[in-house]
Amino acid sequence: MESDWAVQHLQTIRTLMERSAVYRHALAPIMLFAGVLGVAAAAIGLFFHCDSLRAFGSLWLGTAVLAAVGALLIVRRQALKDRELFWSPPTRRVVQAILPPLLAGMFLGAMFTFVSRGYPVDFSLLLPFLWAFFYGCALHSAGFFMPRGVKWFGWVYIGLACAILVIIAILRPEAEFSPHWLMGFFFGVLHLVYGAYLYLTEKGKNAA
Amino acid sequence: MNPEPFLQLDRVIHEKGRLAIMSMLAANPELSFTELRDALSMTDGNLTTHIKALQQEGYIYVAKSFQNRRPLTTCSLTAAGRKAFVEYINLLEQIVRQSKSNPSPKDPSESK
Repeated sequence: MESDWAVQHLQTIRTLMERSAVYRHALAPIMLFAGVLGVAAAAIGLFFHCDSLRAFGSLWLGTAVLAAVGALLIVRRQALKDRELFWSPPTRRVVQAILPPLLAGMFLGAMFTFVSRGYPVDFSLLLPFLWAFFYGCALHSAGFFMPRGVKWFGWVYIGLACAILVIIAILRPEAEFSPHWLMGFFFGVLHLVYGAYLYLTEKGKNAA
Repeated sequence: MNPEPFLQLDRVIHEKGRLAIMSMLAANPELSFTELRDALSMTDGNLTTHIKALQQEGYIYVAKSFQNRRPLTTCSLTAAGRKAFVEYINLLEQIVRQSKSNPSPKDPSESK
């Protein structure tokens, strides 16, 4: 049909924009993968009573490394499927954007976990907030090169970490609970919710 | 069929090379000359011509700097460029909607 040129133009624009941005189709599986991993790690921590700072830190630092490797493998698989370059300029930019806050968070986590033995303060309740802040900053930075929702997702982490910290510190200072619950919420539930949202909205867009 | 959307299409963006550049810049805060050239498989001369045309229209901003002692040219969309790109897409969508209910005409650029 002669009028198909407009549709073709729109399709070309869409393809070019998607190719030049990071594989947005990979975002939903990455979020769901990270969510499942987060919930599983929280369950392991609670079930096996990984309550000491060293056990807590080791479990979650290991989970973070696993999540990062898994995310890269998912992006690589998506790139191979679409016959595109894996280490493309957009991917490189996203990695450059998220690396400083992620490395800083992991470094501080490792310091608290392996060096702070003997300190009078228990850092294990502080670590979930610290990691949520750093992770929120990393997502916010990545959001400049990815769908805008990622930037908001970063703000969700920072906002929720602030809110929960205030509630615990001011309203319920006497409350005692395992920090695995917090980690499970921040890095399990939130990822699952955002992954499900992305999956459903992407499905809706494709169906339209 | 209402011919209005066809007439409103931005002539500068409608050219396929410039449309490709605008599409890529719409998805990224900025891209280097090399990234654009490699992604769009254009020659240096061709890309330079299109960039100049878009720059003259005020749609893209071209910055020249140095990276590792080598000159680096980066391009980004200006606010006017982003607005023109969004309007162009809106018009295309309007044309598609119209064509679903009416027999549609040829690409206005092809008829010239």
